[in-house]
Amino acid sequence: MNLTTMNKACFYLGVVGLTLTCNAFAQVKGLVQLSAVQGDQYVSWQQGSVGLYRYDSDNDGIVLSQGVVDFRTDLTTAWSAHGVINAYQDPQPTLGFSQAYLQYKPLTASNYKWHLRVGGFYPLLSLENPDMGWLSPYNYTNSAINSWIGEEVRTVGVEATIKRPGRSFNSTHSFALVGATFKGNDPAGTLLAWRGFAMHDRQTTFNESIAFAPIASFNSTELQYQANQVLPFEEVDGRFGYYAGIHWDYLKKSQFRFYYYDNNGDPAALNRSTGQYAWDTRFSSVAWLYKFTANTRLIAQMMSGTTAMGAKRGVNNSFYSHFILVSHKMAKHRISMRYDYFEVTDHDDWQFDPNASEGEGITATWRYQLTPQWQLGIEGSALHSQADNRMAMNNPKNLSQQQISLNVQWRF
Amino acid sequence: MLKQTFILSLCLMVFNSYAGIITINDQQQKPLANAVVWLTPADKSVEFPAPTTPFIMTQKDRQFIPHVLVVPQNAQVEFPNADSIMHHVYSFSKAKSFELKLYREQPQDPISFEQTGVVELGCNIHDWMLGYIVVVDSPYYAMTNDKGQIELTLEAGDFTLNIWHSEFSDISKTESKAIALTSAPVVYQIKQAIISRVAVGVDEFDDYE
Repeated sequence: MNLTTMNKACFYLGVVGLTLTCNAFAQVKGLVQLSAVQGDQYVSWQQGSVGLYRYDSDNDGIVLSQGVVDFRTDLTTAWSAHGVINAYQDPQPTLGFSQAYLQYKPLTASNYKWHLRVGGFYPLLSLENPDMGWLSPYNYTNSAINSWIGEEVRTVGVEATIKRPGRSFNSTHSFALVGATFKGNDPAGTLLAWRGFAMHDRQTTFNESIAFAPIASFNSTELQYQANQVLPFEEVDGRFGYYAGIHWDYLKKSQFRFYYYDNNGDPAALNRSTGQYAWDTRFSSVAWLYKFTANTRLIAQMMSGTTAMGAKRGVNNSFYSHFILVSHKMAKHRISMRYDYFEVTDHDDWQFDPNASEGEGITATWRYQLTPQWQLGIEGSALHSQADNRMAMNNPKNLSQQQISLNVQWRF
Repeated sequence: MLKQTFILSLCLMVFNSYAGIITINDQQQKPLANAVVWLTPADKSVEFPAPTTPFIMTQKDRQFIPHVLVVPQNAQVEFPNADSIMHHVYSFSKAKSFELKLYREQPQDPISFEQTGVVELGCNIHDWMLGYIVVVDSPYYAMTNDKGQIELTLEAGDFTLNIWHSEFSDISKTESKAIALTSAPVVYQIKQAIISRVAVGVDEFDDYE
């Protein structure tokens, strides 16, 4: 596997952190999730086709849908090393880090608190993925927005957060300001152009690539250097990207997050050896969680952005998605329902490379917490989508798909 | 008969104990619940042995339980972590400054509280967590119930009545008053305003920040 220097750095950081967990100042948690899946007849994007679910009928049977080890090692009072290792069997057996970073969180008597993260990690823009290893405790299949974040967005850089906790000011409101700068993540947006949004819980580890369907336009002169895969965390143009965010909590009953992300990609930059362009990708994300009661909550998120590649922005798209999720807990049961809408709009004049796509999906999940360690669950999901580049691959432009899964989760 | 009366009077003098109710009211004359009340003897030469069994301040459901713990001077306090996640408990208070990283299922040694005063607890991971340990120089302490009352049994005499509440407008200030414990009930009205503190209700998914 072709690792970039930064991906290597994250890998070694993770390995060192994991090694240090052998001391007494460490905490290791983990989770194994097996799923019995009845997939759709359209072959999954993971297998180089146009299906938008993680699984297809070729996967019918038992799969290791999640294998997660989440560790934290304290190096000093303020410094700690964190990492998440993921194991997957699809599309091929994989073991890798999805997060590996150092955190500096000093104890301070000040009413304001601050911390730094250095390494590879997620921007905390989602309210859907608070569980161990960035999993969702609600639906097994992530929203279209966070499916994309999990596969193509990762910070390899430095993030600073300053908080104004309500507790320190005896206020019902808490605020945090977040700012980060990073390298890598130049190809973010590639998947949206040539596959569009998808719905799944398959996170990309640092050393992984994601294959495309046999996109017809890749045979054109204009796209002759584009590989038939994306290496989402690669550094291509040598420029720093950045993001900024704000968190606003009201008694944790209402939680609001706004992020603006810009990878500052130079669309003219190309790494010919790996076939990766730098994409000029920027987006805004708004997420809101509201607890009607302690047991019933609503989570909504909206994302809108643009992405472009090529010296003359030959591929130039905008993208938009939102979801609304309602989750209700009754004793050991949790029921979660989510509606997703997603679209990519093609703004360039490369007629031979249509990128427009659109879709909507509905996902219903029931989970039963047998013991603190064991959880059972069932999920059904249906989506309808259209994409303008499917016909050139002898696939229908419109697809209606379904996926059902029975899941058992064990955590330690 | 005279002799018997004399002996009875002597007994009453020697074993003259106070078993009564102390009531704490707020500035509106309403009963003040959850006030910490302790009595210190006017005779400063009285020494009390250090407690032998440790006290417990638990981290459960990402909160300190109890919210307020009263301990006598030189008490040991354990900080068991009943959650499946880590806590990083700290205090910058004058009475005791410390930090304690509490990993899941890895109990730490208890901490000794030698100085009297109010110790404000926080968690460096969950910044909504707030708790107090009130270290007092007396074995005669209690927290008021919903009627603003405590019941104490001790030897009658001269004492200083001390009151502290986590919702005092200035939590660094303890109120005190010299009293003589006799058979009469004691009622005390606090001098400072009560300011209700914000309490944040959290669940297992609120850590992601």
